[in-house]
Amino acid sequence: MPKTITEQNLHVLIDTLIKEGKRVVGPKAASAMTLYAPLAKGDELALAGLPRRSAKETFFPLCENILSFAKDKEGVKVSDIDPASFPETVLIGARPCDAAAPGILDAVFSWDYHDEFYLARRRKSTIIGLACTTADDACFCGAVGLSPGDPAGSDLFLTPLAGGGFACQTVTEKGEVLLARYPQLFAETATVTSLPQARPQGGKLDLTKIKSWLDGNFENPLWEEIAAICAGCGSCAFLCPACHCFDIVDEGTETRGVRRKHWDACGFGKFTDHASGHNPRDVQNKRYRNRIMHKFKYYHDKFGKTLCTGCGRCIRACPVGIDIAAILTAIGTGDQGPGTGKD
Amino acid sequence: MCDHSKNIYLPHLATIAEIRDETPDVRSLKLVFQDEQVRENFTFRAGQFAEYSAFGAGESTFCIASSPTRKGYIECCFRGVGRVTEALRGLEVGETVGVRGPYGNSFPIEEFEGKSLVFVAGGIALPPLRTVIWNCLDLRDRFKDITIVYGARTESDLVYKDELKEWEERGDVTLVKTVDPGGNSPSWDGRVGFVPTILGEAAPTAANTVALVCGPPIMIKFTLPVLEKLGFTGDAIYTTLENRMKCGLGKCGRCNVGNVYVCKDGPVFTAAQVKAMPQEF
Repeated sequence: MPKTITEQNLHVLIDTLIKEGKRVVGPKAASAMTLYAPLAKGDELALAGLPRRSAKETFFPLCENILSFAKDKEGVKVSDIDPASFPETVLIGARPCDAAAPGILDAVFSWDYHDEFYLARRRKSTIIGLACTTADDACFCGAVGLSPGDPAGSDLFLTPLAGGGFACQTVTEKGEVLLARYPQLFAETATVTSLPQARPQGGKLDLTKIKSWLDGNFENPLWEEIAAICAGCGSCAFLCPACHCFDIVDEGTETRGVRRKHWDACGFGKFTDHASGHNPRDVQNKRYRNRIMHKFKYYHDKFGKTLCTGCGRCIRACPVGIDIAAILTAIGTGDQGPGTGKD
Repeated sequence: MCDHSKNIYLPHLATIAEIRDETPDVRSLKLVFQDEQVRENFTFRAGQFAEYSAFGAGESTFCIASSPTRKGYIECCFRGVGRVTEALRGLEVGETVGVRGPYGNSFPIEEFEGKSLVFVAGGIALPPLRTVIWNCLDLRDRFKDITIVYGARTESDLVYKDELKEWEERGDVTLVKTVDPGGNSPSWDGRVGFVPTILGEAAPTAANTVALVCGPPIMIKFTLPVLEKLGFTGDAIYTTLENRMKCGLGKCGRCNVGNVYVCKDGPVFTAAQVKAMPQEF
């Protein structure tokens, strides 16, 4: 029989987890928007709509210390950050586009060198995903192989029910463990009626075809055309659940400070700028090309995965209206527009 | 307290044992690891790079410029042009820097054994080849002829001036040094001309020879056709790409040329490999 949980019990679950010392992150109202943020109590959970920023900072903070240092007459002392100090975390109410992203990012943070700042947080996290019943014009998860009801990446997956509450699907062992610890909060219901799933825009993209076009079109007028209006603001990368580029900087003085890892964006001109002044990606179209190539070709070449979950945040936020879904559709259908030299 | 196996961003601490000013703005540091175990166990191969930090300013990427045959220390060489390199230049003998590495691939020196070697370098790009030069000179009998063609804009821009002299005086190395037209003083005893031209005139034989080239993009661009004309194939020419890097570990996403990560797949590539990459470096 399907397990179900009421919204009220979901709040109780959050309160219980917090009381046990866990960090619970979920969609929370923050002035004019909803953001994934640590919850102080269950009824802060704000499940309507898609949070403005992705949930990736649960595992990969916008900015984090990777060491601290202090210098005196004796020399420099470096202090480590212990990943064991990261709190057990439950990410609750993650939409399928956000729940699927960490599973994609695991590859880059664990090949060869293991980035424990990311991986330890991943190991210590449980993700409770939530199906979408609404989508806006920018949502395109269906186009990149996900769906509003896709439990991929979630440990437990909630589907809103017609009469209120949620059906609760166990996806992984982690999810099973969580469910088994709080049996009193879940009910077994003979028949459930789910709310209809959202319908994101567009059809399914042919990612293989897109990749094969990218394989052969590093040089193509399309890049200049798209990037002619790109302001290089980096909003797309900062909001993206799958963008993982970062910078490493020291903050403090030469006698005391911290070294920090913080998000960066390939759309920024300084990103690849050499000390000599030479810059391999010296103009915006090369930077935008890298963004598309990285997501739909390079990451696939290296790790067999697409670095995009179709959340649409880059489309919503782009100040000049660049629509990645439309670009991909054009590439995928062989209609790259006037930029390809076609009449 | 510091667990390098868990925190991949944690540097080893090293003491500046020696400072040498190569040119008015290029400096070499000789570094000795402070931890005895690291000092004994740190190994690397010629061509690998490291992230060097001036605490409080940040990290910067340079090759390891000393030879793996010289144990107990490493050397780096850099131009003071940014926040980190200026901070590194501000440090004195006895002070501490951070070193993360070694990272990346290396020159396949074992494959060069039994062959002649031609080194072609320009300006501040000698350090990545100097590690190979000393590595091979320290194992001199394993290689045939060794030719070094090295040039800079002016005499004062030449790095490792004492070593150039040493190589010049050795009977088992041919050193051809040059400066760009106008870059020489009246007492200059080397050649005058751009590196590709001088290389063409020196005309090393391509038979059973490997060429190692490092220099600014413009020098590499004009050197490769000269080597090809001399009969070097793309597989017999090696170079190192020096892209901007932060992590050095294949994660931060900025050093890629197409799907090639310079920090992981490089920095050493053959000319044939470079030719196959998207031209974005």
